[in-house]
Amino acid sequence: MSDEILDEITASDYKYGFTTDIESDTVPPGLNEEVIRMISAKKNEPEWMLEWRLDAFRIWSEMVEPEWPNVTYQKPDFQAISYYSAPKQKKELGSLDEVDPELLKTFERLGISLDEQKRLSGVAMDVVVDSISVATTFKKTLGEKGIIFCSMSDAIQEHPELVRKHLGTIVPKRDNFYAALNSAVFTDGSFCYIPKGVRCPMELSTYFRINEAGTGQFERTLVVADEGSFVSYLEGCTAPSRDENQLHAAVVELIALDDAEIKYSTVQNWYPGDANGLGGVYNFVTKRGLCERNAKISWTQVETGSAVTWKYPSCILKGDHSVGEFYSVAVTNKYQQADTGTKMIHLGKNTKSTIISKGISAGKSHNSYRGLVRVGARAENARNFSQCDSLLMGDQCGAHTFPYIEAQNPTAQIEHEATTSKIGEDQLFYCNQRGIGTEEAIALIVNGYCKEVLNQLPMEFAVEAQKLLEVSLEGSVG
Amino acid sequence: MLKIKDLQAQIEDNQILKGINLEINAGEVHAIMGPNGSGKSTLSSVVAGRDEYEVIGGTIDFEGEDLLDLAPEERAHKGIFLSFQYPVEIPGVTVSNFIKTAINESRKGRGEEPMEAREMLAKMREKSALLEMDKSYLSRSLNEGFSGGEKKRNEIFQMAMLEPKLAILDETDSGLDIDALRIVANGVNKLRSKDNAVVVITHYQRLLDYIKPDYVHVLYKGRIVKSGGPELALELEERGYDWIKAENA
Amino acid sequence: MTDLAQDLLSSFLVAESELNGSKNLGVVTLRKQAMDRFEKSGFPTTKDEEWKYTNLKPVLKQEYRILLKGDDAVSFADIKQYLLSDLDTYKLVFINGKYSSWLSETSHREFDVCTFAAALNKYPDTIAEYLGKAAPEGATFVDLNTAFADDGAFVRVKRNQTVDKPIEVLYLTTDENGAAFSQNRNLIVVEENAEVQIVERHQNIGTQPSFTNFVSEVFAAADSRVSYYKVQNDALHASLVDNTHIKQERQSNVHVGTYSFGGKLVRNNLHFYANGEHSESHMDGVTIISDGQTVDHHTLVDHAEPNCYSRELYKGIYLGNSHGIFNGKVMVRQKAQKTNAFQQNDNILLSDKAKVDTKPQLEIFADDVKCSHGCTIGQLDQNALFYLRSRGIPKKEAEGLMTYAFASDALEYVKIPQLEKRLNKVIANKLGINLEFAL
Repeated sequence: MSDEILDEITASDYKYGFTTDIESDTVPPGLNEEVIRMISAKKNEPEWMLEWRLDAFRIWSEMVEPEWPNVTYQKPDFQAISYYSAPKQKKELGSLDEVDPELLKTFERLGISLDEQKRLSGVAMDVVVDSISVATTFKKTLGEKGIIFCSMSDAIQEHPELVRKHLGTIVPKRDNFYAALNSAVFTDGSFCYIPKGVRCPMELSTYFRINEAGTGQFERTLVVADEGSFVSYLEGCTAPSRDENQLHAAVVELIALDDAEIKYSTVQNWYPGDANGLGGVYNFVTKRGLCERNAKISWTQVETGSAVTWKYPSCILKGDHSVGEFYSVAVTNKYQQADTGTKMIHLGKNTKSTIISKGISAGKSHNSYRGLVRVGARAENARNFSQCDSLLMGDQCGAHTFPYIEAQNPTAQIEHEATTSKIGEDQLFYCNQRGIGTEEAIALIVNGYCKEVLNQLPMEFAVEAQKLLEVSLEGSVG
Repeated sequence: MLKIKDLQAQIEDNQILKGINLEINAGEVHAIMGPNGSGKSTLSSVVAGRDEYEVIGGTIDFEGEDLLDLAPEERAHKGIFLSFQYPVEIPGVTVSNFIKTAINESRKGRGEEPMEAREMLAKMREKSALLEMDKSYLSRSLNEGFSGGEKKRNEIFQMAMLEPKLAILDETDSGLDIDALRIVANGVNKLRSKDNAVVVITHYQRLLDYIKPDYVHVLYKGRIVKSGGPELALELEERGYDWIKAENA
Repeated sequence: MTDLAQDLLSSFLVAESELNGSKNLGVVTLRKQAMDRFEKSGFPTTKDEEWKYTNLKPVLKQEYRILLKGDDAVSFADIKQYLLSDLDTYKLVFINGKYSSWLSETSHREFDVCTFAAALNKYPDTIAEYLGKAAPEGATFVDLNTAFADDGAFVRVKRNQTVDKPIEVLYLTTDENGAAFSQNRNLIVVEENAEVQIVERHQNIGTQPSFTNFVSEVFAAADSRVSYYKVQNDALHASLVDNTHIKQERQSNVHVGTYSFGGKLVRNNLHFYANGEHSESHMDGVTIISDGQTVDHHTLVDHAEPNCYSRELYKGIYLGNSHGIFNGKVMVRQKAQKTNAFQQNDNILLSDKAKVDTKPQLEIFADDVKCSHGCTIGQLDQNALFYLRSRGIPKKEAEGLMTYAFASDALEYVKIPQLEKRLNKVIANKLGINLEFAL
């Protein structure tokens, strides 16, 4: 690939690299009990919530930041981050027309249109911008079925019993460093509850955006699918370009009760750091789901960008006959590093898990997959199939696979396959000679490679995901 | 159809082609033979447009147009096909998906409509039968895990699907046993018409028993040092290349 | 030192000057040096890593006649069943190690199909160029064979030639005067762009036990193509150590298929040396054995040059108290970038007493390679078995169907249809299924 093309691509602006000029309400940087009380007060939280946060803060203060051998980064200074930032609202929002027009314009630039088109396709949206939910559409329609889909802040006010019952039961405060931090300072996120036997008629979706410089993003999401229910949840993120690294430490808890099913899809497009590796986003997320009897949880994700990613969506297959699935495409380019994977914990009898992980590395990036399949002593007849593939574009990137298999029950059937392939000048020239231009060739190759995973995404997301993959790999060979 | 005049090309300051003159008309089959290192593969790479090779002199005209101006995919759209000596693997892309994309991109390049799915499928079945390829190849990843012979057959399958005007076969016979050779040659012969041309690059006479050339050229040290009819190939088979080397020392 | 080893040493002293090639100083030296090495090392025991699972003692403790005599009494009718009678082929038949001209059919046109003895005595240049250059020194059985081997098949195909008919090589043992220890040797030279197909078989048609120590050296020059099929369906009192060494030059394509059904103890040492770029090495095999039988496949692919491809597929089905051993070594040297090496060994145990020891070994010193190895050992899929039975197919037939499909899978690359048909029949027989019943 010629140098001119390479220059052109890396110099082109990150598509979403802009900021919105909205008056922000920011708390001064630093983390201590005072700041936590301030956050809780600003949100009008009940006493029990404040106590919960303080407990988490105390736990966090005693923990040590973890070291990850395959990922190198500059440790964030927790006292230099501001933990709260919300665009000022003039009054309570009744309908979309009352939303700050600047904000609406932001949504449009992000490609998120809250107009009739979206309404007709049946997507309910809960848009989170800088820690406060701005618009919640379709609350009414969902309400008729008894489905609750609102911001976490609202849920704490309006459905305290549900929140209190389930929050922190899947990812306890003590679980890990970032979960503890999140438990202390989370400012918002989504809450979803599907009642017994109800099939959620539309895909629930949330978009994120990190706006203010120096603001961490601490989202907390809780999805509870009661017995026999079904919900498909989409999460997508974009972020503007900044020079300092931005911290994102979210927690997502999924609970699928007997016979329920939760499908959780994520398309993530983090700012990857510029050509020299400066200014990307730190992405430390704890995502975990619990399956009761006969329940099913699928995690599907397409991730690109992010300076440092550390993320392990996992499933605890507690109930007999429960099923856990993990489908992932992780793309790293330039100087990005990703250390991702999943954990499938088989506890019940006759449980089944499937892992399909596709890593694509380009530029000078490194992509590590770390997967754990653990079969407990009483988990009779557990079945797991894992397929971890790595695609290297060019000569300077790397991919590593670390599968861990711990089987304590002899009836377990575990299959693991891993392959590594390379795309270089030769493959591209071969396609060229057959009349396929280089850009189309990369798209062809990448989409063929990720087919299995992209097929798991709800259609709308699948198209966006495909485009995202193509854009993030431009100029990757040569 | 193809007019190469005084073509000179180098790679990393090493000049390989030192002035090639060659004219190929529609309906003809030309064989290019020569010892290892004579520049046979370089010639095919330069005509196909591989940018590792720098053209430092001469011209290549294809149907009156200057080929050197065009990118490799554009040359393909014009109807040039190269059967690679060592075809690469492309994981995750099935044979059928690859050929479908190639056909439709070429059509797009010529301003035509994409081929209808049903027509495409029928054509794939027809051509895979022609090359005695099991249908299961169509859903395998391109060239992944294929033996050498299977890769070469797959190249000719692609040629059959794309129906090029000028096909360059770079050492297609190497690695093929007698049965596979017959199948591949048969495939190539069935595609011949008065409107297209074939250039067969080979080290040995064997393939030319099946794909009978109209002209045979000997390439040595980057130049065509001898041209003749099919008897020239037989002579090379008997005498080897030493006399050529001596004549052109 | 075992008694057999002693016997061999003394026999060598006696026979040395009578062996073919004894007028060729090079050959004489080669033999002497090989024997010296054997004297020092002796036969391997289970303490040697390469023989860990294969116990030679029962075979070695037998008393053998070492210097054998030919047998004129064998007629074509006697051996017809061991040949591909429905196909026109060249034939090289040896009885008790000696060439039988009346049973053979040779050629000296564009290719030489004749005997190793002739080569030793009449083609010193060829011998100097090739003998011992593929099989390494220091491997006990190879050394022993180098010292003693007096005759065998010699095939030389000149450049650009394709041998028009397959060549069948048959080594028979008939000696009724006691157990026989025979040593024969093949020398196969395939020149540039040449092509040949060889079907080889060892058969003990007598009643006494036999032990064969066999070496086959194959030289595949640039762009050549070789198909080499070994049919091992010998009597249950016959044992064999087969050392086949293949040296490949650039862009050559060699396939060795080993079909092991008979014999008491069979050890196959199959080594490929990929010495040129873009070469292809294929080795596959089917093993179906039962009570009292042991088959040991020790394979090696040595990738010394870049861009080469090797594929290995061995399938085994073990009945009764049989014993299967598979040790597949793939070596990728530092220079051998872009090597593609695939190895698969699948085994089915049809009885509780059957045993399989399998060990794949990858030694990779280059960093841009694609290597895989897979191995399975199991019983038949009970669900599939039940499915067949629920459709009215009795248990035995159902097992037969499934194992037949499993085994015949490895015959995909057999290029001689008559041979493939033959092998399918043998497999069906061994598995007790009616071929018309099968697909």
